[in-house]
Amino acid sequence: MKFWLVRIGSVLAAVGFVFLLQSVAGQNSAENPLYRLTVLAGLYVTLAVSLNLINGITGQFSIGHAAFYMVGAYAAASFSNAFYAQQPLGPIPWILVMCIVGGAFAALAGLVVGLPSLRLRGDYLAIVTLGFGEILRIVVQNVPELGGSYGMNVKPFGAPPTVLWLVWLLAILSIAVCRNLLKTAHGLPFLAVREDEVASAAMGVRTAATKVTAFVIGSMFAGMAGALLAHSETFISPDTFKMDVSFIILTMVVLGGTGSITGSVLAAVALFAIPEWLRTLQDPVTKIPLQIGGPSLIGWIVAIGLAVAAFRWLQTHFHRPLPQRVGAYLGVAGAAALLATVLGLLLGNVPAIAALKYDASALRMVIFSSTLIVLMLLRPQGLLGHHEFSWQWLAKVLRLPVKEAAA
Amino acid sequence: MTGPVLSLDKATIRFGGLVAVNNVSFDLQRGDLFGLIGPNGAGKTTCFNLITGVYKPTSGSIKFKGQEIGGLPPAKICTLGVCRTFQNIRLFPALSVLENVVVGAFLRKSTSLFSAFAYLPPAIAETGRLREEAMALLEVVNLAEVASSRSADLSYGKQRRLEIARAMATRPELILLDEPAAGMNPQEKEELQTTVRRIRDEFDKTVLLIEHDMRFVMGLCERIVVLDHGEEIAQGPPEAIRNDPKVIEAYLGEAV
Repeated sequence: MKFWLVRIGSVLAAVGFVFLLQSVAGQNSAENPLYRLTVLAGLYVTLAVSLNLINGITGQFSIGHAAFYMVGAYAAASFSNAFYAQQPLGPIPWILVMCIVGGAFAALAGLVVGLPSLRLRGDYLAIVTLGFGEILRIVVQNVPELGGSYGMNVKPFGAPPTVLWLVWLLAILSIAVCRNLLKTAHGLPFLAVREDEVASAAMGVRTAATKVTAFVIGSMFAGMAGALLAHSETFISPDTFKMDVSFIILTMVVLGGTGSITGSVLAAVALFAIPEWLRTLQDPVTKIPLQIGGPSLIGWIVAIGLAVAAFRWLQTHFHRPLPQRVGAYLGVAGAAALLATVLGLLLGNVPAIAALKYDASALRMVIFSSTLIVLMLLRPQGLLGHHEFSWQWLAKVLRLPVKEAAA
Repeated sequence: MTGPVLSLDKATIRFGGLVAVNNVSFDLQRGDLFGLIGPNGAGKTTCFNLITGVYKPTSGSIKFKGQEIGGLPPAKICTLGVCRTFQNIRLFPALSVLENVVVGAFLRKSTSLFSAFAYLPPAIAETGRLREEAMALLEVVNLAEVASSRSADLSYGKQRRLEIARAMATRPELILLDEPAAGMNPQEKEELQTTVRRIRDEFDKTVLLIEHDMRFVMGLCERIVVLDHGEEIAQGPPEAIRNDPKVIEAYLGEAV
């Protein structure tokens, strides 16, 4: 009884969450970029969580995730263009069907890539998945029926207004599936394969089946995300699925903490949002895209470099109670900000440097990658390490009385 | 039925020119506590690897309860009822002590993967049941208090005991222990002897173990096979082995 109440409660909470997102994001229109960004963020959450299943939980180093995304998108798009007009379903049920089609095709692709993983490990598997992704993309680029390198319109209906719902419900579904897997004993063989393949085989784990299952489920979710992408953007081209998309998804997984679902979700939202947010920065009065002057840029680079060194020193040498440590970190951050400002003012007197100006949007990839470098220096295990968000953890942080769960 | 539980008949494996295990034959009866000893590089662990399917024998046969298992995949052999521990401990370091044992017990799952994805009551109940079983085994090897620690954080001796519990969780009929006492202090070794006897007597298993500590083996095993350079040089009860000139020669070198 309690079980079903909790179950219904979580479904309601998920729906409530998406409702909230929908009301924040507003309606889908050309003047409202927030809507499109929210949709894309949801797709990236699905992609990161599904790659985490393959890469983080099962430990199969796959770096061709964009290929599964692409297979799903192109499968759904081709089906839509060919069959939508000849059947009675409305747009929303049709998209759901397309999700299944995209998911099925991507799962098939996952099976094909999963099979070599039975014989390959680590770097070698990475090379195969990378190659597979590129081969698929180049094939699509050269098939005129799929639009070639010009891309492909998904014609039958415009972007439906409710696509945000579908995207985020899919994201929540992928999170739920992975979390459920880890909550039950069924998740352990996956983790065991990651930890030690020889030992898990000796304990009766069917390692081959486990790895292939991870690939199939992971790529299925990526394919479903692809199907939703095709119908929300109404246009797809091979450029959408380049290698760097695979790498960004991989970065999300690693940055979030390999194996941590919560980490993947947070990193997906953050890594997607930071560059997009930098792109939109502009001067509030003149509406010119925000520019960063040479002096303050150099000032900040020096200050951040020194601050990272100081943080690392604190991490290894400063073992005081929590309030003192937080104080020390805040102090270093404050000192760095001060140093950056002072340096900026001083360098402003050097004409050659003062004349330099850069668009924030042009610098966004630089800022993006330096953020990554800083994070990896300070937290090599990823934002959350192997940890997961849980209500018990939250209660402990907030110091609420809570009964200890039995081990 | 009274046939041997495990029967090696002229089991041989070659790696290129090296014959690592050469025509080794021995039989284990049900309930045996059997020792496999020999100097370093004698082929003891290779022998384990043949029995558990890590390697495929070049020739000869390995039968478990009359069924040929030589060359079957390791997971299949484990399912049939042969499980092992590793000489160079191979736990799942990031998993908890309890979870390590549940991986072994997972062999007997009855619910589908879908039921786990959907977090349905059968999968939840099964998870609880397997965890209880694992907990009971941790009691046997005295690791219940550290059930929720990361297995990598355990001391060496405790990791060895955890390996035994994990292998026991698969409910094997035959359990192979590869140097279970390595790195243990004398008191731990004594406790381990008790545990191994308990495994045989209470849990009704057949035990085959590799060990370097002669006192440990002689005090525990009822029958012993000695290997040297991949060949079987002696077989029999501890007293006979102790006085066998070939064995003394293998360990101490030829008398001048």
